[in-house]
Amino acid sequence: MITRRHWMVLALLTGLLFLSMLTTVNIGSTNVPFDTILKDPTASLIVFELRLPRVITATLVGFGLAVAGTAMQGLFKNPMADPYIIGTSSGGALAAVFALVFLGGRGQTLLAFIGATLATFLVYTIARQRGRAPVETLLLSGIAVSLLLSAVLTLIMWTAGRSVHQIFAWLWGGFPLASWGDVGIASLILVGCGIIFVYARDLNVLALGEEEATHLGVNVERFKQVLLFVSSFITAVAVSISGIIGFIGLITPHVMRLIVGPDHRILIPASMLAGGMILLWSDTMVRTFTSEMPVGVLTAFLGAPFFVYLLRTRMKT
Amino acid sequence: MIDVDSIDVSYDGTKKILEQLSFSVERGAFIGIIGPNGSGKTTLLKTISRILSPMGGVVRIEGKELAAITSRELARTIGVVPQETAINFDFSVMDVVLMGRHPYIDRLSSESKEDINIARRAMAMTGTEQFRDRSVNEISGGERQRVIIARALAQEPKVLLLDEPTSHLDINHQIEILNIFRNLEGKVTIIGVFHDLNLAAHYCDTLILLDEGMIQAIGSPSEVLTREHLKRIFNINALIRTSPLTRKPYIIPIIEEEATLNGTLRIHLICGGGTGSDLMYELQQKGYALSTGVLGINDSDYETAAELGIPCIREPPFGAIGPGSLQELEAVLRGVEAIIVTDMPVGKGNLDNIGILERFRDTPIFLFGRGEAEEIKPIRDFTGGEAERLLAILRGYGAKPVASRRDLLSKLQDLERHARPSGPA
Repeated sequence: MITRRHWMVLALLTGLLFLSMLTTVNIGSTNVPFDTILKDPTASLIVFELRLPRVITATLVGFGLAVAGTAMQGLFKNPMADPYIIGTSSGGALAAVFALVFLGGRGQTLLAFIGATLATFLVYTIARQRGRAPVETLLLSGIAVSLLLSAVLTLIMWTAGRSVHQIFAWLWGGFPLASWGDVGIASLILVGCGIIFVYARDLNVLALGEEEATHLGVNVERFKQVLLFVSSFITAVAVSISGIIGFIGLITPHVMRLIVGPDHRILIPASMLAGGMILLWSDTMVRTFTSEMPVGVLTAFLGAPFFVYLLRTRMKT
Repeated sequence: MIDVDSIDVSYDGTKKILEQLSFSVERGAFIGIIGPNGSGKTTLLKTISRILSPMGGVVRIEGKELAAITSRELARTIGVVPQETAINFDFSVMDVVLMGRHPYIDRLSSESKEDINIARRAMAMTGTEQFRDRSVNEISGGERQRVIIARALAQEPKVLLLDEPTSHLDINHQIEILNIFRNLEGKVTIIGVFHDLNLAAHYCDTLILLDEGMIQAIGSPSEVLTREHLKRIFNINALIRTSPLTRKPYIIPIIEEEATLNGTLRIHLICGGGTGSDLMYELQQKGYALSTGVLGINDSDYETAAELGIPCIREPPFGAIGPGSLQELEAVLRGVEAIIVTDMPVGKGNLDNIGILERFRDTPIFLFGRGEAEEIKPIRDFTGGEAERLLAILRGYGAKPVASRRDLLSKLQDLERHARPSGPA
């Protein structure tokens, strides 16, 4: 049941996110005092053309990664799952790197999207037998496909030679060149999040098991297809904008589940808001304190030890 | 209510798990499906719940073909209680029960007050209200199963399908849960797969015995649970008794021991009041040729002898031993190599069973009692000392008291060794 506490957490997260966006717009290597934004054209340029689109894009990508992670964890009934596990981001990354190396970066976004979607469908097709794709098989075929795609990626990087640094920086994710165009593309993520939210109650029922969910009136196979497609769509958009940013999709739903419980009607919006906030602050850190270190490095530094901690505490119970 | 009409079901499209299976179920009935592992019980249940679809044939619910019903409508008609449910996230008990309302709630709407009331009622019926706010993963297996049943009841189904709903639970929880279902009798049609034949017999009006994907028997528990069916389908020998409490059949499997069928003696057993049943079973296992009697046909020893196929001289209930039976007994005793008298109750009616033994003083007689070796009470005397006196005479002739089955068996083995013409030294 949804309680008042749930609404309060959501309201608090929303408030914190807005506050974070306002604050981070004002943080950066150049100090822009609030009262000069509108008067000084340089300050206005920095804020409206550089920081604001970057802040919004990072937030939207954070939304997407967290919601896709929540959906995957619900679908796989495994709190350690995320879109990376079923090969979605490997597919996106491979296609994007292909564009960087062979096409000089043209069509990178579109190709990343196509790559991510193709990888997801490849995994789904491999796992499918007689119209059903059991989640265990999905997980395993996802790992197999991911490994293969990573190998191809490495091969491309090895043959490319000269642009390895650029590829590497892109792979580890970040928003150094975020523009209003990226905001436009990233807003597609909101559509995906909306669709997944519509299926929140079905995700709850799925926690009882696939057959059980069928007995409760969920068309499980169609539901899985929708969820896989929409999650890979979200991930593809995220990867094409900002490369691979790990751990947001894994950790955020996990932590929010501890705070608001497993009900996806609350968990999805809560993870979304928290994911946006985490990525926003991570990006603010790297653009302020480093010379554009890939943000994926920071999220991995924060996320990996936390993941290990969760793993250990879960093992005890 | 439910019509299963010549269905063929297969997992791989070639090997049929169910073949040409047909039956129909009345509204409000409690049907049990029994059969050995791999007989197709769960497959049948999964076909009715539409997890599997038949290759041929059709299942109808209230005249409507199963395949034509929408997922949501089906979920409002059929509730399923599985063997065990693993729930991966820490949903509260209330949340899980409310999931039963899923097929009634529109997308993007929340549970209404009515939904919550229905969930509360389901929890009251299953005795799960007291842990409504706890996580389903921190309550015991029996409690969780009751929560799953509450969830199924919250679906307000017309049909409940149970797949061995209690097989992972202790006997007290099994009964607790089956009682919940029995309280629904008449209101909800129940079809359950049962592992425990005695529980199935106790709770179901009708049993369906499945084997090799076909119905082998269908009918009341006493029609279905027969010695012949148990032997043919489960390959066990069993005693079928009528429960004194419910008049329903209950089954006592005869556990066949590692064959030690080397006994050669012919033995007559004088017993009564249930004191000889265990000896009949054990001595028969050991290969001895047994006979027994005279017994009244209402005696439980008589029932055992009949079911084990041991020849028995019998009398009508509560009558004394007539001259005919006595003659018969004498004839039998003349042919045996040992006689065993159990610690049976002796009254006027069966005193002659003891009295006749005086004439067989050359045959080894064992007085079987259960107790300390020094004070074995071979019989319980209700004749005012007459039986004790006869027994004392037999002792005088050398009748040997034995205190345990083990003692008896070793004495019989000694006897056998002596009876053999000449064994190797």
